[in-house]
Amino acid sequence: MSAATVPAGYRVLRAGPASFLLHRRSALAAAGLLLLLAAAVVASLCLGESTVSPAEVLKVVTGRPSPHELVVGEFRLPRVQVGLLAGLALGLAGALIQTVARNPLASPDVVGVSHGAAALVVGLLAYAVVGSTGQVPYAAVGGGLVAGLLVYALAWRGGLHAQRFVLIGIGISVALSSLTTVFLTKGDGLQAQQAKVWMTGSLNGAGDAQSGWLSWVLLAALPVALWAARAQRSISFDDATAVGLGLRLNRTRAGMALLGIVLASCAAGACGPVDFVALMAPQIAVRLARSAQIPLLCSALTGAVVVVLADLLARRTLAPVELPVGVVTGLVGAPYLMWLLLRSRRGGS
Amino acid sequence: MTDTTAPGKLRLLRRRILWLAAALAVLAAAVLLSLTVGSRGIPLGETVAALLHGGDTTNAVVVRELRVPRTVVGLAVGAALGPAGTVMQGITRNPIADPGILGVSQGAAAGVVVAISAFGVTSLTGYVWFGFAGAALAAVLVHTLAGRGRGGATPVKLALAGAAMSAFIASLNTLVLTTDAATMDQFRFWQVGSLSGRTADVAWQLLPFLLAGLLLVFAVARGLDALALGEDTAKGLGARTGLVRATGALGATVLTGSAVAAAGPVAFVGLAVPHAARALVGADHRWVLTLSAVLGPALLLLADALGRVLFPPSEVPAGVMTALVGVPVLVVLVRRRTVVAA
Repeated sequence: MSAATVPAGYRVLRAGPASFLLHRRSALAAAGLLLLLAAAVVASLCLGESTVSPAEVLKVVTGRPSPHELVVGEFRLPRVQVGLLAGLALGLAGALIQTVARNPLASPDVVGVSHGAAALVVGLLAYAVVGSTGQVPYAAVGGGLVAGLLVYALAWRGGLHAQRFVLIGIGISVALSSLTTVFLTKGDGLQAQQAKVWMTGSLNGAGDAQSGWLSWVLLAALPVALWAARAQRSISFDDATAVGLGLRLNRTRAGMALLGIVLASCAAGACGPVDFVALMAPQIAVRLARSAQIPLLCSALTGAVVVVLADLLARRTLAPVELPVGVVTGLVGAPYLMWLLLRSRRGGS
Repeated sequence: MTDTTAPGKLRLLRRRILWLAAALAVLAAAVLLSLTVGSRGIPLGETVAALLHGGDTTNAVVVRELRVPRTVVGLAVGAALGPAGTVMQGITRNPIADPGILGVSQGAAAGVVVAISAFGVTSLTGYVWFGFAGAALAAVLVHTLAGRGRGGATPVKLALAGAAMSAFIASLNTLVLTTDAATMDQFRFWQVGSLSGRTADVAWQLLPFLLAGLLLVFAVARGLDALALGEDTAKGLGARTGLVRATGALGATVLTGSAVAAAGPVAFVGLAVPHAARALVGADHRWVLTLSAVLGPALLLLADALGRVLFPPSEVPAGVMTALVGVPVLVVLVRRRTVVAA
C-alpha cells in the first residue's frame, strides 16, 4: 500500500504480515485519557478520611513496607481496581453496542443487560433465595447474560437488524424493569432497601474477588476487541453497500453484540447496573477523537475515567456519608457531554 | 405502500378505516372494563344505571366517585402519551425515543421532588403544577442546549442532549432522595406511575393542556411526513424543518408534561404505541397520530384494569402493567416487519 492510499488522519502500523490502520487523533486522545486515568487513580488512592501522600501510595502499590498499607492497600486499592475494570468494560461494551445498533442512545441498558441483572438480583433478594451479598455479583452476571441473549435471540431473524435489535431490547428492558418494581414491593423493607442500593450501582464493598474475574474477562476480551476495531470500519457502511462489497455483516455484528453483552453483564456483576456510563463514554470518546467510527480504546478509557472519578466524588462530597457511585456518574459525565454537544462541530451523527 | 393506483389507494384507505374502527372498539371495551372491574366487581347493567340515573347504593357511588374519574384520567393520559411518543420519534428520527427523551419525565420528577421536600406538598392535585413546571423547564433547557452550536437542533444532538439532561436530573433526584428519607417515602408512590386515587380535579387540570398539545402535534403531521424523508429532502419539498421540529416538540412536551404530572412516569405507552400504530396503518403521520391517540388510552386502561384484579387485594400499578401487557405485542410486531421505519 503506498502512502497515497492511506486515508487522511490515519497511519498504517505494520508488524510482519499484520497491519493496522491507526487513527492519529484517536491515539493522541487515548494517550491523554490514559494520563488522566492515572491521575484519577492516584487521586482516589491518596484522598479519603486520611490523606496519604502520592509517594507513600507508590510504596504500597509497589509492595514496599509503608505505614499506610492497611488503608491504601486493603481498603482503597481493591475498590479502585474494580471501578477501573468495570469502567473499562462498560465503555467498551457501550462502544460495541452503539456501533452495532447504529444508535447513539443504545447502551447495555437498552439491550436488556442492566435490567436483566437488576430483575434477577432483586427477585432473588426479595424471595430470600440469596441471603449473603457474596452471591449477588454472580446472580447479576447471570441475569444480564440471560436477558441480553434473550434479546439477541428474539431480534435475530436471518441477521441482526440494527433497529430490530434496539427495539426488542428496549421492550424487554421495560418489561424487566416493571418486574423489578413488582419484586421491590414483595420483600420486606430491609430487603427492598438493600436491593435499591444495589440497583443504583455502588462500589462500596467491592473487593479482590470481583477485580479478579473482571480482569480475566477483560483479558479474554482483548483479542476480540482488536478484531472488532478492524471490523468496525466495514459495518459503518449501510447494509446494502456492505453486502455489495462482500462483507460478512451478520457475523461481525453478532460477534460485536455478544462481546458487548458479556462485558456489560460482568460490569453489572461487579458494581451494579451503572448504566449511563456505557451510553456516555462512546459519545464523549467519539467527540474527543473526531473519528468517523466510535473509537473502542478511547471509549473504554473514558468509561474508566468516569467511574473512578465518580467513585472518588461519591466517597468524598458528603463524607462521611457515602453516595452510591451510580448517582455521581450522571453528575460527572452528563455536564461534560452537554458541553461537548454545545461546542461540537458535527451537526449530526 | 408502493401501490399508488386508485384501487390501491382505496384498499389502503379501507384498511386504515378498518383498523381505526377496531381500535375504537378495543378502547370502548377497555373503558367498560375499567368501570366494572376491580376489588368490587360491579355488573355492567348496574354500572350503566349508576351512570345514567345516579343512585345512592355503594356500587353507584363507587362507579361515579372512583371509577369514572380514574377512567377519565386514564383516557386523557393515554391519549396524550401515544401521540407524544409518535412526535418524539418523528422529530428525533429515532425509533427508541420515548416521550421522556427530552428530559421531560425526569424534569417532572424533579418538580415533584421539589414540591415534596421544599414546599411540603402532599396531594396529587398539588403535584400537577410542580411536575408540569419541571417538565417544561427541562424541555426548554434541552432545546437551548441542542440548538446552540453548528447545525442547530439536529435529531442526534436533540436525543443526546435529552439523554444527558435526563441522566443529570435523575442523579440530582437520587441525591436528594437518598439523603431525605421522608421525601423518598412520599415520592416512591408517585414514581411508579399509577392511575389509582386520581380524582376528577386532576382530569380537569389536565384537559386544557391535552387539547392544546393535541392541536399542536396534529398541526405538524404533514411536516413530520416530510421530516421522515430526511432533512435535505424535507427542505427540498418546502417543509420548514426547524418550525416543524419546534412546534412538534412543544406539543409533545405539553402532552407528556401533563400526562407525567397526572399519572407519574408511564413510559412504555409512548414508546410502544407509535410502533403498533405504524405497523397497522403505515407511515402517514395523520393516521399514525390518530390511531396512537386511540391505542394509547386502550393499552393504559386495559393494563390498569388488569392490575386491579391480578393480585387482589393489592393493586399492580398501571405503569408496571402496561409494560408486561405491551411488550409481547411489541416483540411480535417488530419481528414481523423486515424493516422498521422510524
